[in-house]
Amino acid sequence: MTTTSTPTVTPYRSQLHPARAGFLRLLRAEWTKFWTVRAWLLVLAIAAVVTVVISQLGASGSSTSGNVEPTLAPDGTVVRDSFHFTHRELTGDGTVTVRVTALESADGRALEPWAKAGLIVKESLEPGAPYAAVLATPGHGVRTQWNFTHDTAGGASDLATAPTWLRLTRAGDRVTAYESADGRTWSEIKDVRLESLPRTVHVGAFVATPMHQILRRSFGGTSETAGGGVVTASFDRLALRGTSATPAWTSADVGGGVPNGPGPQDAEPGATKLSPTGVYTLTGRGDIAPDETLGDTVQMSFQGVFVGILFMVALGTLFVTSEYKRGLIRTTFTATPSRTKVLAAKTVVIAAVTFAVALPATALSFTLAQSRLRENGFKPPAFPDLSLMEAPALRAVVGSAALLSLVAVLALGVGVVLRTSAGAIATVVVLVILPQILAFALPLPAAQWLLRVTPAAAFAIQQGATYYPFVDHNCLPESGCYPMTPVSGLSVLAAYALAALLLAAWSLRRRDA
Amino acid sequence: MRHLHAEWTKLRTLPSTWWLLAATVALTLTVGTAAVSSVTTQVCPDPAACHEDTVKLSLTGVWLGQAACLVLGALAMGAEYGTGTIRTTLTAMPMRSRVLAAKATALALLTAAASAVGILLSLGTARLILPTNGFEAPSLTDGPTLRAAAGSVLVLALVALLGLSLATLFRDTAGAITLGLSALYVVPLLANIINSPTWQDRVQRWAPIPAALSIQATKNLDRLPIGPWPGLGVLAAYAAGLLALGGVLFRTRDA
Repeated sequence: MTTTSTPTVTPYRSQLHPARAGFLRLLRAEWTKFWTVRAWLLVLAIAAVVTVVISQLGASGSSTSGNVEPTLAPDGTVVRDSFHFTHRELTGDGTVTVRVTALESADGRALEPWAKAGLIVKESLEPGAPYAAVLATPGHGVRTQWNFTHDTAGGASDLATAPTWLRLTRAGDRVTAYESADGRTWSEIKDVRLESLPRTVHVGAFVATPMHQILRRSFGGTSETAGGGVVTASFDRLALRGTSATPAWTSADVGGGVPNGPGPQDAEPGATKLSPTGVYTLTGRGDIAPDETLGDTVQMSFQGVFVGILFMVALGTLFVTSEYKRGLIRTTFTATPSRTKVLAAKTVVIAAVTFAVALPATALSFTLAQSRLRENGFKPPAFPDLSLMEAPALRAVVGSAALLSLVAVLALGVGVVLRTSAGAIATVVVLVILPQILAFALPLPAAQWLLRVTPAAAFAIQQGATYYPFVDHNCLPESGCYPMTPVSGLSVLAAYALAALLLAAWSLRRRDA
Repeated sequence: MRHLHAEWTKLRTLPSTWWLLAATVALTLTVGTAAVSSVTTQVCPDPAACHEDTVKLSLTGVWLGQAACLVLGALAMGAEYGTGTIRTTLTAMPMRSRVLAAKATALALLTAAASAVGILLSLGTARLILPTNGFEAPSLTDGPTLRAAAGSVLVLALVALLGLSLATLFRDTAGAITLGLSALYVVPLLANIINSPTWQDRVQRWAPIPAALSIQATKNLDRLPIGPWPGLGVLAAYAAGLLALGGVLFRTRDA
């Protein structure tokens, strides 16, 4: 009788308590689950390629006539700069004072809230030359504005009820704006520094008004008609203290007849009338403000992102729903009983992977689309070269990648809650894409509301154009304007993703796998 | 007939079917109502010159309802592949083209019935809300309104068939839905934002969704890129073509 003694082997047991497996290990496990599915890697690659290709197609479809010579501000912004000006030269330091008594529409239409009457110090009579102005408006009180993109509010005085005194003092390259109700006690609004202001400048009273905008919007069509308005302002007690080579006030239309000036080309020129009692009546048209009607070349470079989103949604959803479908989720939860940790690891992996793929794709989309747009007439000076590493472009590139990544996270969260790919994919795509389609069709207030409260708000991050609060602008979804600022728009999507994750964590803990 | 009965039983015993049909009705109605209540005569220069297409506006809900129909169509076939029922189905009914035809018929009839409810409710609500906003209530017996309503029902049924044919082609729900949603939503979106009139016109003529929804127009028909019935024909052609292609592959491929 023989006995075979088999050596007893202790089977391997992990020293770690299963529930306390480190988070890094969990990340590695989820990462392995992701990269070993070849179809998902393929989908990622397709997503990147499609994003770039569609962006190119979108960019090459866009064109602009672009043969208009734009007026450029000292900082390169495209601006409107035409107004009626009653001026004298001022050499060295000096002060100009006036009382504005009335500002009225001269063409029968309602006065624009941003019509302007006031004093201005301008380097030269060339459109786009540096300036500083203090002005009264019908809708926004007294303002100080300088070099087109800067604006400071003064008092809230209303010309319809009482006249306003305005004063500009020039000392070296500093211009100080004052206002007063009675011409005796003056309060300072703003002290402005105009870089390298020459010794001799033009000072005087001016009048200008933005265009009238009539907007009609209905299903499938928007018509926006704009017409140049004409306004008349009355000034008295116009006085200049300082050295002037010109003894009398002369009037001129600055930027009159420039191609991008508002109003018809054969419009009547502005006029200045002086009454025997010293009342100057100025009639003029035009505006001194940034031009916001140009296309946004940053936004035009990212049209492929809309398609890329679909792939990200599919990936984010399948990363969890396929586990439910195959029953792998039970293995996962046996290995790691802490379900929230599993969810966290999945979120980190899907967010990191999608961001890492989306970032090069959006950067490449932007770079290639920019050169395509340049061929189609979006050239300097009206459309300055945009550097990938500077504010609007960099924000849009990184923001678009973050958008794609957040959409994947949102899909993951919805996938955990719904557990079926079909429902989750459809829900997320509808949430992100449909509001924009409806926004084209619905009345404007409803459209803007949709673009604030749905994840579609995030597309605001692709905007490169700056919308100034002191320019009335119709924010139309069809011309690519989103009602939220870029970063707050993206945070709406982030809030949705976070809410979906919290709901997912809650339902994971509550429900059976 | 036995095929149809079998497919009808499969379709009606799935809880998701009824959820999705309820969603189609609810979503169509909700979005339509919201759209109708958002419009006032203030958007027009004066009430007499108001060209707002109120019928089309009250049927806006189709934009959202179609997602539920697509999912329903895709699941009708995709779920069988997902769970393996397809092999049982084909063992019991070896005539594959008849299986597909029966599925398509059952699906189309069911979706059309649910959509008809959704569309009629949308129009009914619009009739109640529009007069309070200063608009004329659309009449159901009016020719263009009837065309818009019947056309919208057909659009939703065709979208369900589109989902079915995509799922037959892909043998997978997720892929079919992703592709279907891109056709329903992303293509129209790109058509709107692309800055080139030629391409906008091409997409609105030849992409299934903007083309098919021209059936909802009751005003300014001469300004549509494609006429109402030809537009619906474009979607029908896509659905029929893909269904035929799906049918051929269904017969030649392994289940």
